[in-house]
Amino acid sequence: MSVLSVEDLSVSYRIPGGRLRAVRDVSLSVGRGEVLGIMGESGCGKSTLAAAMIGLLPAGASVDGGVIRLNGADMLRLPVDEQRRLRGQSVAMVFQDPMTAFNPVLTIGRQLADFIGAHDAARHNRADIAAMLEKVGIPDPARCLGRYPHELSGGMRQRVAIAAALLMQPDVLIADEPTTALDVTMEAQIIHLLRDLRTSFDGAIVIVTHHLGVIAELCDRVAVMYAGEVVEEAAVDALFHDPRHPYTRALLSCDPAVVQPGIGHLPTIGGRIPDLSALPPGCAFAARCAMTDATCASPVPRHRAAGRSVLCHRSKA
Amino acid sequence: MTGVLELRNLSVALPLGGFFSRARLPILLDVDLSVARGESVALVGESGSGKTTLARAVMGLQHVTGGTVAFDGQVVEGAAGLARLRRDAAMMFQDATASLSPRLTVGYLVTEPFRIHGQPLPDPEGTARDLLAKVGLPPAIARRYPHELSGGQARRVGVARALALRPRLVIADEPTAGLDVSVQAEVLNLMSDLRAEMGLAYLIITHNLALVRHVADRVVVLYLGRIVEEGPTAQVFAAPAHPYTASLIAAEPRPDPRQRRTDLAIRGEVPSILRRPSGCEFHTRCPVARDICRHTAPALAPLGAGRQARCHFADQQQNQQGVKHAVEHR
Amino acid sequence: MSSAADASAPARRGIGRALLADPMGLAGLVLVTIFLLMALLAPWIAPYDPIALDVKAKFQPPSAAHWAGTDHLGRDLLSRIIWGARLALGIAITSVGIAGAIGLVLGLIAGYGPRWLDSILVLVFDSMSSLPMIFFALAVITVLGPGTTTLIIVIVLVSFPAYARLIRTQTLALSGADYILAEKAMGAGTGRIIFRHLLPNVVGPLVILICMDIPVVIMLEAGLSYLNLGVKPPSPSWGNILSEGYNALRQAPHVVIVAGIPLVLATLGFTFLGEGLRDVLDPRGAGRRWG
Repeated sequence: MSVLSVEDLSVSYRIPGGRLRAVRDVSLSVGRGEVLGIMGESGCGKSTLAAAMIGLLPAGASVDGGVIRLNGADMLRLPVDEQRRLRGQSVAMVFQDPMTAFNPVLTIGRQLADFIGAHDAARHNRADIAAMLEKVGIPDPARCLGRYPHELSGGMRQRVAIAAALLMQPDVLIADEPTTALDVTMEAQIIHLLRDLRTSFDGAIVIVTHHLGVIAELCDRVAVMYAGEVVEEAAVDALFHDPRHPYTRALLSCDPAVVQPGIGHLPTIGGRIPDLSALPPGCAFAARCAMTDATCASPVPRHRAAGRSVLCHRSKA
Repeated sequence: MTGVLELRNLSVALPLGGFFSRARLPILLDVDLSVARGESVALVGESGSGKTTLARAVMGLQHVTGGTVAFDGQVVEGAAGLARLRRDAAMMFQDATASLSPRLTVGYLVTEPFRIHGQPLPDPEGTARDLLAKVGLPPAIARRYPHELSGGQARRVGVARALALRPRLVIADEPTAGLDVSVQAEVLNLMSDLRAEMGLAYLIITHNLALVRHVADRVVVLYLGRIVEEGPTAQVFAAPAHPYTASLIAAEPRPDPRQRRTDLAIRGEVPSILRRPSGCEFHTRCPVARDICRHTAPALAPLGAGRQARCHFADQQQNQQGVKHAVEHR
Repeated sequence: MSSAADASAPARRGIGRALLADPMGLAGLVLVTIFLLMALLAPWIAPYDPIALDVKAKFQPPSAAHWAGTDHLGRDLLSRIIWGARLALGIAITSVGIAGAIGLVLGLIAGYGPRWLDSILVLVFDSMSSLPMIFFALAVITVLGPGTTTLIIVIVLVSFPAYARLIRTQTLALSGADYILAEKAMGAGTGRIIFRHLLPNVVGPLVILICMDIPVVIMLEAGLSYLNLGVKPPSPSWGNILSEGYNALRQAPHVVIVAGIPLVLATLGFTFLGEGLRDVLDPRGAGRRWG
């Protein structure tokens, strides 16, 4: 059963002279023990989608339609207090820069205790917190508790942020670009940690990133976003080895990490993402797509097959 | 052989607290590095390895405590030497948008090198248009302000400005950082085109190994401010001689779910430069460290074919095909 | 992100338009323009000579002949207020302008110059601003004697340290910015860096602060003139008009009211304009982000 799901969710930003449609009719769900990757380039709406899922949309953004279900509860129909309570209980978030998630003048131990305090203080104590830090791979956890955020390296802060998230015993962990601010070696360690967690932590994990390597290393299922829509969703192996949507194919083929060196020019995707406040009719990728024909200007059908969906006139699931 | 850029025993140390204290914290230690004409060299390392400090030291933005920087065969000395270096070498910053002065138009910014060095600029608009065209930007961009540019556009403007005076060397600090994959590919293509067209030499500072594979002829690996390995890119990637290089290569996430790594290539973190490990400074994280590594520091030793490494067991590492062995047989 | 950049671009050329779109900024702009016009055109628009006596017509309430009435010497109040605007704005803009220029130069030197010079300048700024303003003003007036020049000197001395400190802080913060490093790496000299790259980025907040300070100075001038320590009578300072009107408050309350209105409106006008400018000028606007 899915822990978190969105159905036909649309989010837009108010801008001078109109609305910018950042997320359009997105349907996704993630179940216990599953890692869902949301992949896309900047401006594709992936961070807005993540923010909507945890009810942290910035000012000026609003949900235009759709349903967000958390453990079966229809979140958007609940009063705000109730939404907050449910989210606080069951969703935890890890951000790109863990420094911003911590209060710089309090020790790590104090802050972690506060995180739990908001939930249930009685069941936890310092030893539990230390045990959690150990679990996320922090050497000498007891000493770490007495430290301040700036005394830790980026990789260590990200581990602490993950520990903090897990201490809340959430049902869903959402990580927005969790490794983007880190070095390759730290990135590998965090990927490893998240992968280990998936087996020990009985919840769902959502990874939002533009980094194809992180998706491939970590996720079970992937949703590829383009111009606010999920253009393809598939199991990770199928997506990387048998991509169906032309955008997915183009994206996979131009990653410098995939292309063999010495071929001269790297492939690229010409053009730019469309203006999200004045979208073309039909397919949003048509202007940059190599397979475009006359049908692409009409509303795009979503093809579904076993475990896979593709939003395209010309490719089948 | 005299290259475009020759660093000899370059050292940088920062004063360490206390007004009267003469203690200094070494950031870069005796770095020897050369970039030949038209060559592309990548400088690789984790944060804290000193790679950005090195770039800044070369451009005279960071006080050097020892060694020399020679440009085009001449040691850079005094204001005149620095001015010449800054005219004939250009630097691209990691954060392209932040490196553009916010209240000036792109058209002014890309032609500024002419004004700074008193070079003739009879037709600023035409020059700006040509420079922007060279990096694939439409002329209308010249009227924009930096905050109105996308990440990829700002990067291109940075390239256009770096090329304004037809430099012989471009130092690029993380030229693809913060860019989407498709835009990364565009920027890399642009850099290699311009290199072929203008005979540029590049010193590329990065931790993105995919980038290194695509654009660098030679790679130099820094660890805690020291060169630990150096050699032609293809050979270093095929058979790294230093376990650190091997670990970096192995740590890179692969965009292929069928090649997921089962074990970690490298554990622990870069040690603090305040507490450098004894012996070989990598021994605290090295998968193949032995007793000798804990107390004796290895020297940077040549391995033939333009390669060198700072490891007691460099020969064996290379033969073992480093990565897999070191990692999987722990 | 091109669409995002387009959407959030209150670029420089749009400042005027953005100010007009902001009700507060618009109100400020209108009020300030009215006062500036009054000040500039005083000789032509004032219906009477502001210091011509007509004792027979003293304390006349507002009428068709004297729209704002007359004072205890029969002088036309509207004319005195219009000329008073010239005096008030003249003093305020001159003194704050001089203080701003001094603050700008010293702040840039302190922020971008050598550390030892910075330490000395900061000591000067701090000791200047630790003096209680009113006592300091009284002391200077005692030494130099009251008058317009003294008033300007007092205001310059009292206000420049705050400007200099603002500019210094901004300059310090920016001197480590990537674009300043980039300019150095291209070989730009100190003059170019200070005047072309630092100055345009630090003056914005100074302009706002100055705008917000002008009403303070107008009030200070009125206050000191009221105490007979500022502009000497018979010059038509708003403070003088108030002070003279206060003596005859029971007899002719319209004098104080009429003199108080421009003071309030000018204060509001410059404050609104300052607030409006702050909203509009605030560096690079508040661009939205989505990913």
